Amino acid sequence: MSRFNIVVILLVAVLLGALFSVFTQNSESVVFARAFAEPGIEFKVSGTLDREHPVQYDPEEAVAETRFHMTDKDGQTREVLLKESKPTGLEQSESIDLYGKVEEGRFIATDMLMKCPSKYNEDSHSLAEAAPAAN
Amino acid sequence: MDIAYTGEWTWAASLGRLLLALAFAGGIASTIGYTKAVRHNEDHWLKLGRWGFRTQAAGLFAAIALMLFLIFCHRYEFEYIWKHLNDAMSPGLVLASFWGGQEGGFLLWMFWMLVLALVFLRRQPGKLEAPVMAIHAGVLTGLSSMLLGLWFGDFQFGLDPFLLLREAPQNHGLPWTLNPDYLSLIPQFADGQGLNPLLQNYWMVIHPPTLFLGFASTLMPFALAVSGLWTQDHRTWMGKAIPWAFFGVAILGAGILMGGAWAYEALSFGGFWAWDPVENSSLVPWLVLVAGAHLLLINKAKPGTAVTATYLMIALGFLLVVYSTFLTKSGILGDTSVHSFVDSGILPQLLGFLLACCALLCTLILPPGRDRVVFGALQAALAVGIAVANPALCTLGLLLVMALAVLRGHLKNLPRTDTESPIWTREFWMFVGGMLMFASAVHISFQTSLPVFNHFLEPFSGWFDRLYQSTGSNLARKLAAHDLAPGTDFDATYHAIQIPLAFLFVSITAFTQYLRYKSNSGKGLFLKLLRSLLSAGVLTAIVSWTYGFELWEAPRVALLFACLWSAAANADYIIQGLKGKWDHAGSSIAHIGFALVIFGSVLSNAKKDIISQNRFGDLQMLNESLSNDEDLLLLQEDTVALGPYYVCYQERRRDGIHAKFAVDYYETLPASYTKGQVVSNEGFLFQCTENHTASPRFTEDLEDHWTFVPIPNERQKDQSKPWSAGIPGPFAFTLEPRIQLNEQMGNAPEPDTKRFWNRDLYTHIKWGRVSEPEADENGWMDGRKHDLMRRDSLVIGRSMLALDSISAVTLEEKPGYGLLDKDLAVAAHFRLSGGGADTNFTALYIVRDSLVIPDMVTLESRGVKLRIDGFRPAEATFETVVWENLSIRRDFIVMQATVFPQINLLWLGCLIMTGGALMAVRQRRKSQRPRPAQNKAA
Repeated sequence: MSRFNIVVILLVAVLLGALFSVFTQNSESVVFARAFAEPGIEFKVSGTLDREHPVQYDPEEAVAETRFHMTDKDGQTREVLLKESKPTGLEQSESIDLYGKVEEGRFIATDMLMKCPSKYNEDSHSLAEAAPAAN
Repeated sequence: MDIAYTGEWTWAASLGRLLLALAFAGGIASTIGYTKAVRHNEDHWLKLGRWGFRTQAAGLFAAIALMLFLIFCHRYEFEYIWKHLNDAMSPGLVLASFWGGQEGGFLLWMFWMLVLALVFLRRQPGKLEAPVMAIHAGVLTGLSSMLLGLWFGDFQFGLDPFLLLREAPQNHGLPWTLNPDYLSLIPQFADGQGLNPLLQNYWMVIHPPTLFLGFASTLMPFALAVSGLWTQDHRTWMGKAIPWAFFGVAILGAGILMGGAWAYEALSFGGFWAWDPVENSSLVPWLVLVAGAHLLLINKAKPGTAVTATYLMIALGFLLVVYSTFLTKSGILGDTSVHSFVDSGILPQLLGFLLACCALLCTLILPPGRDRVVFGALQAALAVGIAVANPALCTLGLLLVMALAVLRGHLKNLPRTDTESPIWTREFWMFVGGMLMFASAVHISFQTSLPVFNHFLEPFSGWFDRLYQSTGSNLARKLAAHDLAPGTDFDATYHAIQIPLAFLFVSITAFTQYLRYKSNSGKGLFLKLLRSLLSAGVLTAIVSWTYGFELWEAPRVALLFACLWSAAANADYIIQGLKGKWDHAGSSIAHIGFALVIFGSVLSNAKKDIISQNRFGDLQMLNESLSNDEDLLLLQEDTVALGPYYVCYQERRRDGIHAKFAVDYYETLPASYTKGQVVSNEGFLFQCTENHTASPRFTEDLEDHWTFVPIPNERQKDQSKPWSAGIPGPFAFTLEPRIQLNEQMGNAPEPDTKRFWNRDLYTHIKWGRVSEPEADENGWMDGRKHDLMRRDSLVIGRSMLALDSISAVTLEEKPGYGLLDKDLAVAAHFRLSGGGADTNFTALYIVRDSLVIPDMVTLESRGVKLRIDGFRPAEATFETVVWENLSIRRDFIVMQATVFPQINLLWLGCLIMTGGALMAVRQRRKSQRPRPAQNKAA
């Protein structure tokens, strides 16, 4: 067995361990019902912005508090408190991942990922609306 | 029925498609010709290959030229141009609109591939020409098929860059598409939509061409490697591939860091690197290519060493570029990235292309004959399975078969050397370093690809779920949910693994150059390294003291040490080892650059200081929830402390598509206090005992200059100001962070940065008004609700409204307020101070027969209106609505300011690394030409 092979085998072993830890680290992805059933535990909840309710951000009151409603994958809508200033493009977002936990009966998110309409173009601009105007 | 459209360059669309079809056909001919020429050394096959390639090149170049011509003529009848160009764009950006979309990206990519192929052919490749060009032409044919724009029923085969607007799928069947005059009739077509304003930046002109040249430069090493397998000559190609591989290392590295610079300068990611899939997927091929390029060097010095690994690294460099194209264009990443990626309709084609390239490699790695046939057939069968049966299972099967093929090739086909390398040789440590970089790439790629794995996990979901039911294993539950995503905590997700790996491979770059190939040359190594070790140790001590590193940051400090050591050792090597022979110093210089890049990125990231954090409570007026926040609220014309500065938000102004917010910065001078002055600190009051100049911290002055005031009187309470070490000094500079007004994508903040030699001050707007707020005809803005208790206060314009006291309205007082005896009323006594004389007034909360009687208090001259809507006796809290008049309103912004220390080393390192790598390429080429010369600077 050459020294080169030993290096490779060692590295593969270390990498496998490192990669496996990936599965244990991530906060679990759940719906609101579960997060509210287990308050105080950090979860990830994905969903979409509920546009029925306005996004509330009042920097004069609190710079780092944004309130909005999110509908989770089960269709349940809850008010969410995000401990950050209002992220740019929240209103345009297509989907939201919230990281946080339930405290005192509400979901408090400390981190948030948004999926926004692509920065890299490629949305198909339909001209269906443009056309009748011209005819 | 043909309609003659007026004003439309229908001919250009036809010509463009014809050229692309010609290139495709030429590519097929070239592939066939060159492929045959490998086996049969007959001139006519070679001729077919060459003419096919010329046709392909001519077709693609002409199509690119035509596209550019149409772009510069602003022909908006073409969908691609209409989407990515408008009349307002500057000439540089007009050029950039060429690669604004996927079609142009493919064209640019192929353009560089063709250029590199022409360079390759000029260098008289001899026997390598046929196999390399066969692979090259095949890959190009595959890529150019993505631009054919053919439809088979609902199945799209390629995107059409020359698609006319009226032919676009979303416009099919609309009545205007049949109108010959549609271009002049529909006003929207007079001008294009234009490049997304976020991309309208000079980086858009230089970053994509560099990055695509980097991507393209991975193809030549790949083609050389596959040709090596094909012809079973595992040696010749490796020597040839070295300059190509290092050229790729230089250009791709520069391209990636340019992307980082762009993000840092123009996008508000809050830094230059965000471990985003887009960034990761260009970094991963680079890491693998670096590993592969170094394995090539090993093989040149000692043929037959780690041949399989060399083949894999070089091939993966290219395959990972294709994979990342697939990832970022597939929409698969959608849930994990800040960007979203739209499925462009050619996904199956891209996937097929990627798998075909992999399958080609895995088939040819096997011994010629039966093995290749069996494995080839197996892979083809599974590929069919992906298309028609179960994609996830068949892809897994295909990957398994490919892995087995590589293993079998390694055991049965590829050569190996019999002589074991001693430990202290250059090749051994170069190999270890390369493998570590590969490990780093695997880890990043694994994290980025988690959403892809979800698709593979889906069929096993039930199985994992049963496993979870029976064992209660958390891991099984997560796998069953098949909803894996990389974590958001970069330290846990990336840094925990990447920093130790980087520490190892950066350290290896420090000493490996001092070793010799093949012979055990460890003796005296320590002495040679002593100088660099000592200087790196001293520098690390200085750095960690200056920037206050703590014990838990030990891995980072170790990495910083490795970087400094590597930079010092490589510089020392140029003096000691090369005696200042600069011709051979390319690799040492590149290593110095690499070390500086890592150093700059680690230090600037680890010790970035968000100075907008309001740590000291200087802003007494502001709400307490501000206290541990990263963002600072700046009222117009208010001067507040910000880290080492005082800042004042001056004005907002419109500049083109930007709203700019001018923020002035002032130096900080030490504050001086006079005897008798009263200050507040952390809620307590202190009185000054003698005149003095403040120290940086209050505690340092407390003993000598202040006495505690245990029971302050009203006057002291009123006059006290919060203690502060400094006062605003002379004006320093102005920064103008801005908000780009972008109707298409929503407004986007853009940072403004003040650069110093040893740090950057990076500021961006988190929230700001881009237009005047709405108000009624009298200038009253919408009322705002506040819950107020006694002693609560809030800022309105330049004034402060304070609720001084609460009292129940007694029977005797009622007539004075015009109330009936049966009314219940609570009085809130307010004081409005600042912006005029102090004004006291009372607002009432009145309940009459269980109805609330509104009592509006208006202070017209002060621009404030107030009404109490509710009273909660248990908490003694008034629900108050306050209106503010535009006349007294002060604009404000929420800003974040960060200091990035030593970030310039990162950019400097990038220049040095690229320069060094290019020097090494030049030296390699020189040494290749006359005879295989000794080359110390490997």
